[in-house]
Amino acid sequence: MENLLHVGKNVPRTAEIDKVTGHAVYIDEYKRPGMLYGKILYSQYAHARIKSINTEKAKKLPGVRAVITGYDIPDVRVGFLGDQTVLKRDIVRQFRDEVAAVAAITPEIAEDALKLIEVEYEPLPAIFDPIEAMKPDAALVHETDARGRPLRSNILPLPWKFSAGDVDKAREESTYVVKHDVTTPWINQCCMGTSGCVAEFDSNNNLTYCAQTNVIFGAKQRIATYLRNIGLKGKKIRVLNPVVGGSFGTKLDTDIYEFICIQLALKTRKPVKIRFTREEEFAALPPRQASRFTIEQGCDKEGKLTFRKVDAILDNGAYTSWGATTPSVMMLPISSMYRVPNVSFQATCVYTNNIYSQAMRGYGNPQAAFAVETSMDLLAEKAGIDPAEFRLINRNHPGDVTPMGLKITTCPLEECINTVKEKIKWDEKRGKKNGRGVGMASLIHVAGGARVYLSDGTGIRIKVNEDGEVDVLSGSTDQGQGSPTVIAQIIAEATGFRPEDVNIVFGDTALGLWDAGTHASRHTFVAGNAAVRAGELIKRQILELAVQHIPKLVKRSLKQQQKKNPDFVPPELDYTLIDSPDKLELKDRMIYPREAPDHPYFKTEVGKILTSGLHVGVGESKAVAAEVFWDPPTQMLNAEMKGNYSCTYAFGTAGVEVEVDKQTGEVKILKLVSAHDVGRAINPTLVKGQIYGAAYIGIGYGLTERVQVVDGKVVNANFRDYKILTANDNIPVEAVIIEDPDPAGPYGAKGIGEPGLVPTAPAIANAIYDAVGVWIKDLPITPEKVLAALKAQGQ
Amino acid sequence: MKAYDYHKPHTVKEAIDIMGGLENAKYIAGGTDVMVLLRQGKINPANLVSLRNVAEISRIDTQNGIRIGAGVTHTQIANNEFIREHYSALADGAGVVGSKQIRNVATIGGNICNAAPSADTACPLLVLDAEAVIAGKSGERQVPVDDFIVGPSQVALEKGELVTGFVIPAFGDRTGSAYIKHARRLAMDLPILGIAVRATVKIGGAQAACRDAFKLTDVSDIVKRLEAEGLVLEDVRVAMSVVAPRPVRARKAEEAAKGKTISEKVLEELGEIAASESKPRDSFRGEAWYRRDMVKVLTKRALLKSIERMTGASSMVAPSRLW
Ligand SMILES: Cc1cc2nc3c(=O)[nH]c(=O)nc-3n(C[C@H](O)[C@H](O)[C@H](O)COP(=O)(O)OP(=O)(O)OC[C@H]3O[C@@H](n4cnc5c(N)ncnc54)[C@H](O)[C@@H]3O)c2cc1C
Repeated sequence: MENLLHVGKNVPRTAEIDKVTGHAVYIDEYKRPGMLYGKILYSQYAHARIKSINTEKAKKLPGVRAVITGYDIPDVRVGFLGDQTVLKRDIVRQFRDEVAAVAAITPEIAEDALKLIEVEYEPLPAIFDPIEAMKPDAALVHETDARGRPLRSNILPLPWKFSAGDVDKAREESTYVVKHDVTTPWINQCCMGTSGCVAEFDSNNNLTYCAQTNVIFGAKQRIATYLRNIGLKGKKIRVLNPVVGGSFGTKLDTDIYEFICIQLALKTRKPVKIRFTREEEFAALPPRQASRFTIEQGCDKEGKLTFRKVDAILDNGAYTSWGATTPSVMMLPISSMYRVPNVSFQATCVYTNNIYSQAMRGYGNPQAAFAVETSMDLLAEKAGIDPAEFRLINRNHPGDVTPMGLKITTCPLEECINTVKEKIKWDEKRGKKNGRGVGMASLIHVAGGARVYLSDGTGIRIKVNEDGEVDVLSGSTDQGQGSPTVIAQIIAEATGFRPEDVNIVFGDTALGLWDAGTHASRHTFVAGNAAVRAGELIKRQILELAVQHIPKLVKRSLKQQQKKNPDFVPPELDYTLIDSPDKLELKDRMIYPREAPDHPYFKTEVGKILTSGLHVGVGESKAVAAEVFWDPPTQMLNAEMKGNYSCTYAFGTAGVEVEVDKQTGEVKILKLVSAHDVGRAINPTLVKGQIYGAAYIGIGYGLTERVQVVDGKVVNANFRDYKILTANDNIPVEAVIIEDPDPAGPYGAKGIGEPGLVPTAPAIANAIYDAVGVWIKDLPITPEKVLAALKAQGQ
Repeated sequence: MKAYDYHKPHTVKEAIDIMGGLENAKYIAGGTDVMVLLRQGKINPANLVSLRNVAEISRIDTQNGIRIGAGVTHTQIANNEFIREHYSALADGAGVVGSKQIRNVATIGGNICNAAPSADTACPLLVLDAEAVIAGKSGERQVPVDDFIVGPSQVALEKGELVTGFVIPAFGDRTGSAYIKHARRLAMDLPILGIAVRATVKIGGAQAACRDAFKLTDVSDIVKRLEAEGLVLEDVRVAMSVVAPRPVRARKAEEAAKGKTISEKVLEELGEIAASESKPRDSFRGEAWYRRDMVKVLTKRALLKSIERMTGASSMVAPSRLW
């Protein structure tokens, strides 16, 4: 894999210049003729019966084109478990329940119309604590399930149960055992661009839907089901992406506002746009799943892990989106971080009248890693072993098959841990308990696709124009992570063109082949693999053309020279050098014989071959195009939650040095080193960007961020009160790229979208313990919690 | 957000005249509070009278103390050498408002007239004995900032009146001041608590020895050295934000400090008294017990920081400290 021309280079993100100059068309700028603006009215209560809704005044407001409630649209259920309707008409079960919606000629008028809608509620007792909600006599959030069958409990019928080996026996045989509880909060994904969509029907009720989804085909499918259920069967649906300002999990599910937008478009026969305000983004979009864990771990005399037992309770909120499926990824660290032979894991999702959750970068891994990695430090201390050493003793190895059935291929975890140790000056700084301390944590994550649907595939189409421009139609999406650059580098490498020749169209179901979605850190790996394969087909086609056309072009040129200059003596050329595609190479737009790379007559610019191949005059002309649909050899989890659901796994370690102010409880991060196994960095600058960004979000998770929900209501629904870190909080983060090319990856690459934030929060908690001897097991680690713990210890 | 008329007077007199003839009107300076309230629908003025073009309220005048125009921005204050040296607490406060972008447009007049319990320049002005200069139809009057701020979003302005500036007396070279904002992040944050202190001291021993005390790393060693040099707290002001409906002075603590030779015990007491004067509440932004505790800690720190500045020690390369 030597002599790579484009892969591994810091190719600049030229496709993004439009964003920083204000030319990119985000959902804000996306406009259609006659477009209306939709706004949503939310519930005033966490739990109430709707006694009446009066929309008469709102309908009369000039500029209003439609006002709809649950009584105006078919009563069709949507969502992962079908546990909600689009507009709620009898009972509201949370503050963000959508009760009515307006379409008007301006967003301001729509907003004013909302205020004219009169809803009469009869408040019902609400339940906010999942532990309370689990009790047998607890009031029910849902009386019936999706099919109308009565429910007896608030516990969801989701079988998150995993077991390997014999945990009870292992516990008995363990020399050291520790057990503790951790809790983690709701976290808002904080996309720079707020949510929005534009729905537009043509006269035949075919839908063009411009949405920020990162799963265009999944969204298309969900919308098709919805349209079918409301009586629009067999209608064509085209899902398009505008430029997207970040997703971080928010664009995985099809959200309720999207169905509302479709309903408003149907009702008004006009294109309708819904765009969230920042307040809605906080209060009406599902955040990262909040969780509670009890974790117990043991090891033997030598420090080898013997068992791990984890019980999780997830506050599901009132309805179900992808948050309830995060245990499938929590299982990764719980079953497979470090070698642990006996594992048991159980997660219980419980309905409450709180907000509900969905995906966020890491998908359950950050929560579970916080439990596992703080437990590792507790156990190391009990066993009297240095925590870094303890991790090295138990580290994963290439070739391991974990209790969950993950097949570990490449695994430079040892190098990650040792790099962090060295860069953070572990041995020198640890164990002082003088207000400064160091801590570390590691991670495992899917990095080679993730078979969460029956297909883990992705398609790519490439066509090469006669001028040598390479058009790529990708079935995937770009949320701003830099895929136009990375995929262009891969295609340039595979085809023999340059990254600047490549033009990629993402996010259009009418143009791309199917794709499972840009999620699970899978895009570079899966789309990259498809791109390499398609690129090789393209290259082959061009070289086949070259075999035909180079001799033709050379002979013609020689003849012309002779015509101009009768004294010219044509050279004797050895055409066998180029009589087969295998004898030719295409690199950096130049085609040349492998045996004679600088051949003065045969070395040809690729554009000449493409033009010659297309404009043959007499005979059969050829256009160069290829497509590949690639589905990685991954497995879906079986009923026991086992299976190798990714081709390869990423490892990494974060090390943190903190200083704790013992009088105020404030924690200052002096240094954060984040070493990540990326297989191969296709573009090191972009890889580091992913690591920096993720580390910052991880620090926020550790120290400052939480969606505060009081009696079901989000009380900090703005950036003043939601404490995401700012550029001023310039925390020195050092991103270290560990390269160990993975045989399954495109040029050896693994996914790196999510890993960076996974180990950050536990590393901080562990460092705080090292600094001042208190454990905060409840995120975020606020100064209040640290100070209270110090006081409790009499410090 | 409703439509409104926008008026652009060029003098204070013009502004007052325009205001006098309008119903439902509001002054706007930097607009960083006004626009937020407008967007939230909390205010709905039919007219905005902009003070941006009124040059006479945008000056800093340093004769006999200082006069700072109401239209001076936080950036101008934070970067002003004279203020940084003689009224350090105010430079501290202005320097931590919002973010650079906010500080570039937001004014001190707006900060005080908006009268938020968390206003970052309020405590500094309180400890610096500042007075607000108010202009109205019937002429000019001057009110201590402590009386000017009445309650949350309430100030002692009559209809049509505006603040033209703030006057602060000169304190001499035995005075130092400091403001500490305790927040969860370093930009775009309201304080959990803000503490300002001004200390005017008398030194029994040598000023140089006091300055050298700050070369020590251990805080209690510093205090012991200052005590040995007979450093007396002649006149101390303490003001606290977010622990009451409006920024308030800790008068009992100020009284208790008067004439005391500095010592660890005195500092401890001062913090305790100030904390006992605070009335923080539990909110989702912070817990009361924590805020009260921080009054104790930060009063001590702000006092030491004031003394450090007075001695000139802050210009030395000192060990990095918590304050
Ligand atoms: C993102 C953001 C972050 C912020 N962070 C902070 C912070 O950290 N700390 C902090 O203290 N504040 C903060 N603020 C609040 C605000 O920036 C300050 O209060 C600022 O000083 C207000 O000044 P302004 O010139 O923008 O006032 P404006 O918004 O123009 O006016 C505020 C009020 O004062 C009145 N007013 C203004 N000038 C006069 C005058 N000369 N005479 C009479 N009345 C007058 C107006 O009518 C209005 O009622 C923040 C605001 C934002 C938007």
